[in-house]
Amino acid sequence: MKSRRNVELRLGLLAVGITGLGYVLVQLPEKSDIPADLWFFVTIFVGLYVLAHMAVLQFAPNADPSLLPLAAMLNGIGFVTISRLDPDLARTQVGWMAAGMAAFFGTLVVVRRIRTLERYRYTFLLLGLLALLLPLAPGIGKTINGARLWVGIGPINFQPGEAAKVLLVIFFAAYLVDKRELLSSGSRRLGRLVLPSVKHLGPLLLAWAVSILVMVMQKDLGSSLLFFAVFGAMLYAATERAAYLITALVLFVGGATIAHRLFDHVQDRVTTWLDPWPVAADEGFQVVQSWFAFGTGGFSGTGLGRGNPQLIPNAPTDFVFSAIGEELGLIGAVAVIAAILMFVGSGFRIALEAERPFPKLFAAGLTVIMGVQTFVIIGGVTRVIPLTGVTLPFISYGGSSLVANFVVLGLLLRISDDNARARGLVRRRTSAPTGATPS
Amino acid sequence: MNRAIGRVGTAVIALMLMLVGMLTYLQVIHADDLANDPRNVRAALKDINLPRGPIVTTDGEVVARSVPVDDGTEFDYQREYPHGNLYPQVVGYQSFVLGSTGVERTYNDHLVGRDPALRLEGIGDVFSGQEAVGTVVLSLDHQLQEIARDALGDQRGSVVALDPTTGEILAMYSNPTYDPSGLAGHDTKQINQVYKFLSALPDKPDLSRAYRERYAPGSTFKTVTASVALETGLATPETPYPEIRSLDLPLTDAELSNFGGQSCGGTLAVSFRRSCNTTFGQIGLDLAEAFVAGAAAFGIGDVPPIDLVPEAALSIGPRAGTFQDEQPQFALAGIGQGPVSTTPLQMALIAAGIANGGVIMEPHVVKEIRDADGDVVRTIPVREWKTAISPVTAQAVGAMMVSVVEDGTGTAAQISGVTVAGKTGTAQTDTGDPHAWFVAFAPAEAPTIAIAVLVEHGGSFGSEATGGRVAAPIAAAVMRAHLGR
Repeated sequence: MKSRRNVELRLGLLAVGITGLGYVLVQLPEKSDIPADLWFFVTIFVGLYVLAHMAVLQFAPNADPSLLPLAAMLNGIGFVTISRLDPDLARTQVGWMAAGMAAFFGTLVVVRRIRTLERYRYTFLLLGLLALLLPLAPGIGKTINGARLWVGIGPINFQPGEAAKVLLVIFFAAYLVDKRELLSSGSRRLGRLVLPSVKHLGPLLLAWAVSILVMVMQKDLGSSLLFFAVFGAMLYAATERAAYLITALVLFVGGATIAHRLFDHVQDRVTTWLDPWPVAADEGFQVVQSWFAFGTGGFSGTGLGRGNPQLIPNAPTDFVFSAIGEELGLIGAVAVIAAILMFVGSGFRIALEAERPFPKLFAAGLTVIMGVQTFVIIGGVTRVIPLTGVTLPFISYGGSSLVANFVVLGLLLRISDDNARARGLVRRRTSAPTGATPS
Repeated sequence: MNRAIGRVGTAVIALMLMLVGMLTYLQVIHADDLANDPRNVRAALKDINLPRGPIVTTDGEVVARSVPVDDGTEFDYQREYPHGNLYPQVVGYQSFVLGSTGVERTYNDHLVGRDPALRLEGIGDVFSGQEAVGTVVLSLDHQLQEIARDALGDQRGSVVALDPTTGEILAMYSNPTYDPSGLAGHDTKQINQVYKFLSALPDKPDLSRAYRERYAPGSTFKTVTASVALETGLATPETPYPEIRSLDLPLTDAELSNFGGQSCGGTLAVSFRRSCNTTFGQIGLDLAEAFVAGAAAFGIGDVPPIDLVPEAALSIGPRAGTFQDEQPQFALAGIGQGPVSTTPLQMALIAAGIANGGVIMEPHVVKEIRDADGDVVRTIPVREWKTAISPVTAQAVGAMMVSVVEDGTGTAAQISGVTVAGKTGTAQTDTGDPHAWFVAFAPAEAPTIAIAVLVEHGGSFGSEATGGRVAAPIAAAVMRAHLGR
């Protein structure tokens, strides 16, 4: 499995190289010389990457070799785009990257066996719900840009909701694996659909209801949509019953309709999604500017540092993809989507390769988070769906999200490593029964 | 579980492909529209740091120029508008926050030297160190523009004067106005403040009233009504109309009165000179649906293709297919009220069409583009826009308009030694005192200027205002200057 790590190292250095070049290009239109802090940032980036690579080598030597380089690539493109938009934010982002790498390292070190997580499912449920509710706590909860998603302790603000996603996916994977026989056997039938009895659905509906309620209270539509999609997908994956997908869909449409009735900000989002042009100077400004960015970028983009992505509000966070679309064009935008798709593809492959149900469902859940989150935010900025503010994995500015993404990366690598070892074990058993067993 | 996970994976891939599809639409199929949308300021931003040629009037007055600055911002040039609030509705502005408007926008490529004709000339300039920027020469005459401003004074309204044979705009001014310099600065905050301030003013100084605002044209529209009546053979100048105080409007109890409640009538020519509402209301009814096509031939319902951004507003008249149910509207249209609503530019074009033997030329504010050496590299082509009426009809309506100025309602527009053709209008409004209008051209035998003047709500005369009293003297002042009298 040594070759897997070599592949990882080479791909990773390629990602670092692309980031360094991008960083130079961003500065060229303004200064026409190589930025003075280039070596500083490239050294940090290379350093972080080599450390991460060594961590994998040490703690998950047989894991999939493509995930870490893909994450580095996306993270690098994000860093270059942020540094192009706001150099001060870019400096902070370097700090968050270090924190993310630390979380990645910590995940690999602490979570030595994925099944340990399965045991503490209710602890994770509790922690997850706590994390969701924390921003509502008086004193430490903070409202930024109209959404009460933040917790501020001293000078540091963070979004515990990002951690809640991972924590709740652990709980759901463990819970569903436990109950999937019951859930899929069902007691009642409605035509071709098999309906499970309500008591088995209890905890699930409760968690669901709480997460939705909190989302509504915190005005975070994007995360709400994300939770629905992830839990619906996991329920379907665990039971293979289409009835759950339909139930999830009905619940979502119902919830969305009620939210639309009750909340002005939801109505605004829908109105500006359907037709932003009459309000292009007001509520529709962001989306219209985002469209202008994509249109101006065209097929090949304006070139890094040569466009005007600073015209889009919130470009480093929610609209980072519009900035990429303007300066790197359709080519760059599709390359980013392709990289995320490869990441997601690897995630699903890890899920399929897992032999035990918990890691299988857990890997699928984590992967769906990445995929759906990407769809929600890119779909929002391109007006495929109404705009809701979630981050673009590994790319958007923001510490909480970056740390959470690196934890997901660590967990997926852990499962992948387990898979490879399990396979290796089977092979060795057939060929050399006396082989060492790493279990 | 694998089968279901595989399906979920397929669904995620499908979602991603959807995004790629949308991106292809935005960045390839729809890209040009988005890149060139007037609300997309990126095009203006791209050019803001390029050397930019000046905009000058036909008599050589500089109305926009770029000067190099070093004010600590990222910008190398400051765009200046030396005549402040005299030209904003024509020249527009170049702002890195708001984008650009007016000539600054329509002739942007010429100003920054992107016009191939300038490039070709500019090859030699590479060696001489000169910038290959273009000079945009307006057809506007600085002297006329100043006279239009002074004649209008502090009254709200518009003056549009053009050469009826070429469509070249000679003067276009509206009041209230504003100084675009405040929008062309280098400080985003300040620009936004100025813009917010301007947009919030109830007078709307940033509105180009001359070609973007519609008003009831009142009796000036009788030029169109009379033209269509002659052109369709409904009447000749000698056709008699009864001398009456008011006209019963069909389908209603309402009636249409003459100005001041007097009785009015006579032949068509006499009715025109006296501006009888009863006669032209009757003609509107008699024309019926034919009125719609006749007005359309003058450009009513079409956007005049003037070379400005934002584009001109279209003017509206009697609506097709409505005569059966709304006959009174056609009577009102006959006197320029009811459904009729026109821009001052459109009324000037109507006068120009009658002056030019029935043909309306495409209006344009720019005459030619010159290179840095002053050589003309491009001339804005002279094109026909509409053939409104036959030369015979134009001749007849022109003669009636001459009588208006000689001894009708428009005597205030007389110029000694020159035959002036004109028509007054005093248009009722729902919102206050009537609008005072005057349309004219001169010399009547071989016109070199056609003009429309609008004074909102009677200007300084208020409820006492008539087109002949308020608007005609302003038109006379501009025409007199143009004709050197």
